Amino acid sequence: MDVFLQELADILEIDKVEPGDVLADFEDWDSLSVLSAIAMIDGRYHVSVSSQEIKRTETAQDLFDLIQKKLAK
Amino acid sequence: MNLRFANRAVSGLLTVLPANERLFVDEMTAFNFPAARSLKLKQVMGYDKHRLVDGQVCVSDLAVHGMEHLFSHGLLGRDDFDALIVVTQTGDYLMPPTSNVIQGRLGLKHDMFCIDINQGCAGFLIGLMQGFMLLDQPGVRKVVLINADVMSRKVSAQDRNSYPLIGDAASIAVLERSEDPTTIHANLKMDGTRRDALIIPAGGMRLPASPETAVREADAEGNLRAPDNLRMDGSAVFNFVQTEVPPMIDALLQQAGTTKEAVDSFVFHQPNRFMLHKLAEKMQIPYEKMPSNIVEHFGNSSGVTIPLALAFNLGERLRTSRLNICLAGFGVGLTWSSMLLPLGPMQFCEMIDY
Repeated sequence: MDVFLQELADILEIDKVEPGDVLADFEDWDSLSVLSAIAMIDGRYHVSVSSQEIKRTETAQDLFDLIQKKLAK
Repeated sequence: MNLRFANRAVSGLLTVLPANERLFVDEMTAFNFPAARSLKLKQVMGYDKHRLVDGQVCVSDLAVHGMEHLFSHGLLGRDDFDALIVVTQTGDYLMPPTSNVIQGRLGLKHDMFCIDINQGCAGFLIGLMQGFMLLDQPGVRKVVLINADVMSRKVSAQDRNSYPLIGDAASIAVLERSEDPTTIHANLKMDGTRRDALIIPAGGMRLPASPETAVREADAEGNLRAPDNLRMDGSAVFNFVQTEVPPMIDALLQQAGTTKEAVDSFVFHQPNRFMLHKLAEKMQIPYEKMPSNIVEHFGNSSGVTIPLALAFNLGERLRTSRLNICLAGFGVGLTWSSMLLPLGPMQFCEMIDY
């Protein structure tokens, strides 16, 4: 989880992301950040998530849970 | 679908780029985004400059310019070939075919197999396949394969999703029979259920162009585009490429009984540097064996990016030596295809401007 949060923080170019942070509240959470997140998740976890799936998640924790759910399949 | 060919060669390759060059930093003021985010996009995706036609330039204009260059420099005779394939999605007219337009403008003989193929990012490979098959006919001595698009004319300049990466270009490849018995392996897949990922919604019979289809509206991200414009679902295309391309290449190499190490260069369609780097990482291919520099120099001209990547990165080597090349194209359709073939030494492999 810590690694995942740090990757998200790097994409958003900020120091730290907390699990409860609402993604849409970040100023830089735009289509480029979403694509960067898709690429990061594909590269690190080898799972494919769509931008629609990402947009349906609210917090960083929700996004992490989505990846875990896909990994469990 | 797997395909095989033998005794076939690409004996020459010419690319034609519009001389008109535009810079991302000049164009980003039209985008509905903060400058800092646009600069971030430039850095991540590898956008810099691109070549766009200036005004009402058509596919046949670029193609005729290139063909006349070959004729006048003695690289191809006007009567030396019997088939003309044109791969494009931005033909001069809905009818007649652009291949007939080019035949007429060049004053070519009537004894000529002209055919248009409506394909995009994988179009160069599909053109090669069609050309290699035409060479089964004894009456066909050489095939001229023209791949050209002027897609910038269909992209909204206020669409940050597509405009920064688009480019216009043409390529001319001469295909002929050869003594080389090396088997050329290829594969091809299509999925029309995902046809909406890359589409120009209006202008065909389904939704004819009208004043209404020219009206630009903002999408959820703030990009302005009309139904007349190209629409690309960037993240869907990204996922498609990362999911489908690596296993396709593995299957191709397995079919050919060879390995990644035995391939001199992986010359793939150039959507942008970001996507190619991610692909290289996933396939464990060193960046230097997979060129990714076409979009930053010239833009993404659909299927033409493959011959551009060959001529720009390997031009000198292809003139003098024989390389084992893996080509791949993937995009609109959706269509994805790859081919493993020996290329070079070519009679010519060069780039000119229009």
